[in-house]
Amino acid sequence: MTESLIPPAADTMTSVDQVVAALQQHRYIGSNRIATVVYLAFHLRKPVLVEGPPGVGKTELAKTTARMLGLPLIRLQCYEGLDEAKALYEWKYGKQLLYIQMLKEKLDDVLGSAATLSESVQRLHQHDDVFFSEDFLEPRPLLKALRETKGSVLLLDEIDKSDEEFESLLLEMLSDYQITIPEIGTIGAAGPPPIVFLTSNNTREVSDALKRRCLHLYIPFPDAKLEQQIIQTRVPEITAELRRQLVAFVQALREMDLRKTPAISETIDWARTLLLLNIDVLDADWVADTLNVLLKFQDDIDRVEPQLATLMRRVAARG
Amino acid sequence: MDGALTRFVRALRMADVRVSTAETLDAFRVVDLVGWQDRERLRHGLAAVLAKSTDEANAFDACFEQFFRFDDFDAGAQPAPVDDETQAYPTGNETLPTNDQADGSMPGDSQSGGNGVDHRESNDLDAGDHDRASTAAPVPLDPVDISSPSSPLGRQLMADDRTALSIAISSAARQHRIEDIKIFTQQGLYTRRIMDTMGRPALIDEIIGLEAAHRPADQRLGDELRRRHDRLRQQIRDYVEGQFFIHADARGERLRMQMLRTTRIGNIPAHNDHLMRRMIERMARQLIAAHTRKRRITRRGTLDVPRMIRKNMRHDAHLIELAWKSKRIDKPRVFVLCDVSGSVAYYARFMLMFLYSLGEVLPRVRAFAFCSELAEVTDLFRTYDLDEASRRTLAEHGQGGTDYATAFADFERIALDDVDRRSTVLILGDARNNHGDPRTDLLRKIYDRSQRVIWLNPEPRAAWDSGDSEMGRYAAHCHQVNACGSLAQLDRVVSDLLRRVS
Repeated sequence: MTESLIPPAADTMTSVDQVVAALQQHRYIGSNRIATVVYLAFHLRKPVLVEGPPGVGKTELAKTTARMLGLPLIRLQCYEGLDEAKALYEWKYGKQLLYIQMLKEKLDDVLGSAATLSESVQRLHQHDDVFFSEDFLEPRPLLKALRETKGSVLLLDEIDKSDEEFESLLLEMLSDYQITIPEIGTIGAAGPPPIVFLTSNNTREVSDALKRRCLHLYIPFPDAKLEQQIIQTRVPEITAELRRQLVAFVQALREMDLRKTPAISETIDWARTLLLLNIDVLDADWVADTLNVLLKFQDDIDRVEPQLATLMRRVAARG
Repeated sequence: MDGALTRFVRALRMADVRVSTAETLDAFRVVDLVGWQDRERLRHGLAAVLAKSTDEANAFDACFEQFFRFDDFDAGAQPAPVDDETQAYPTGNETLPTNDQADGSMPGDSQSGGNGVDHRESNDLDAGDHDRASTAAPVPLDPVDISSPSSPLGRQLMADDRTALSIAISSAARQHRIEDIKIFTQQGLYTRRIMDTMGRPALIDEIIGLEAAHRPADQRLGDELRRRHDRLRQQIRDYVEGQFFIHADARGERLRMQMLRTTRIGNIPAHNDHLMRRMIERMARQLIAAHTRKRRITRRGTLDVPRMIRKNMRHDAHLIELAWKSKRIDKPRVFVLCDVSGSVAYYARFMLMFLYSLGEVLPRVRAFAFCSELAEVTDLFRTYDLDEASRRTLAEHGQGGTDYATAFADFERIALDDVDRRSTVLILGDARNNHGDPRTDLLRKIYDRSQRVIWLNPEPRAAWDSGDSEMGRYAAHCHQVNACGSLAQLDRVVSDLLRRVS
């Protein structure tokens, strides 16, 4: 990438260390790996495919990067049946029809003096594709991201939920940062190409063609130390001892065989809950009462409740 | 260092990480950006462009550990006694204290201090070694006590510059194309060749000469050189072994797998089971990648008006073609009937493993096992892992002589109603009915109801219809009959099946 294409906020991007610091400044505590990948994504201008269990901060990473670079975040939530009309562009067909109606008389004027059919066609051709110009184009997220003159951060959330065909549709955008519209031609990026994040929960394997075009980042559940840091940043009001206890408890829960393992977002929610309830020290009763913040299935709650005492002992032992 | 990266990519490919040329180019750009200095960062950066899935990430990590072992030489080295040679290289003395400082101020942290590249390659482990080396270093030795070596390798050894030595070793190894090492026993040969290239003959001559000398200083040098020579040999041997694991081990496994693919499953010794498992998993993965869900656009549901208008532009906006919003996922159903009597059990096991590894593309597999009586085992495979489930299946249903007539009758009773024209019925068996009534009429019923009946026979075609085999009579009531003795054949059948049903 040439220098001129790098947005003004690029000074935070001169080294991996600075990326770590900048992410932290925007309240995103990430591992060295995450920072390295963001740094590379910025300089190589390659999309990042972020994988990992739900709630570990995949979407948050894209949001934070946008804030950090001071770029607009354009988000496209993927789902089954998503097609180019919703992702790339759409013709404003209503406007097209309306204009045709309104311009009928004008058309008569233009064509009125034409003697033969072929002459009328000839004249029409002089006006070419007035109805298929950019004025009649409704930009959808991908096209919008390309049109940003200062660059942007494009988040394609839960790409694994979309169809195979949609993935193929993305390929042109992801490798060359351009979109081809048959009626108009190829539209390239107006400014620096967007920084693209794709997130996936692995409900299905993303195609190889797409993977090949992306940097691959897997965000696992954090270890206790990192999770404590995250809680400290996100819920700073909580006491150190409670923070340690609740992180240890969640870490212990993750080792159990649960239908939905609590993620960081649940830990944060739980920390906020405990704060709200003015709890200073974790005890089994309080945990039992607030367990539904951490666990989202009744099965899981039923499984954990009888073992609360054991879990609490382990939490105590870890300190 | 560019060569190192290319060789690393080659090692990755050996370990089944698919790396394209474009990705290799990306890897070079990553190295430009991240640099070689910080090992962890290099690892994260390269992993981001080279490893594309969790499997590949694991393989990548293992490979990276093996390949970029910067601590090789430092970790194994003894605290080196200082001699007059060290004084002759003040730069060497200067870098050590700075390194100490860096380590002291940031214990456990990745060394981001501004040292020379050579020393920053080292990780925490050998950073500790540097400490020991430098504290143990000032052993006062009279310079007169020891003479200086004359052979080039000897000088290198006495200089004790580990980085220079490791560079010399790897460049010598490259000359001998160590990446072509194939079998375990070649390790000695390569070690010897590398040593010779580094100048061992001259060194040995010198050592022998020195040991025979009369001056104590010479003798002392001779002893010291021999010690360091032995240490160097050990280092080279470790290096060669590491390279062997990177380059040859993967290749050997690949050869074995290739062989297993085409060998008849019945002839494969039991100790290869884990390898078979891995092969089946890999074959299943490939099939899954090739046959991901296909969706068919249905002719009901909500109209997609914008799309319809666009579609009909060509008809002057007269609505002729309709466009629908909803798409239907076509879910095929597969019924597997496995003969689990002694002769076929082994095949049945791998067959079931294979089918259930395909859960992603074949979500609705119902499995039945029989010898004489037939029972559904689908739940076993849902509850237990593959190994356990197939073991239980064989234990619970694998006794007695084969009786296809009873088995088909049972199937008719249990599941025939669920078979419809989108179902595929797979039968795995040798069709040896112990001279009983084959009851082809029952098979005919299945044939009439289902989309396809596929019979897989583990025996080679030549053995069909010999003795009590009824294959010929059953074949008349199947859409397709295949010999299915090896994993390669199994793979072909299943991928064919997927093409039809998905």
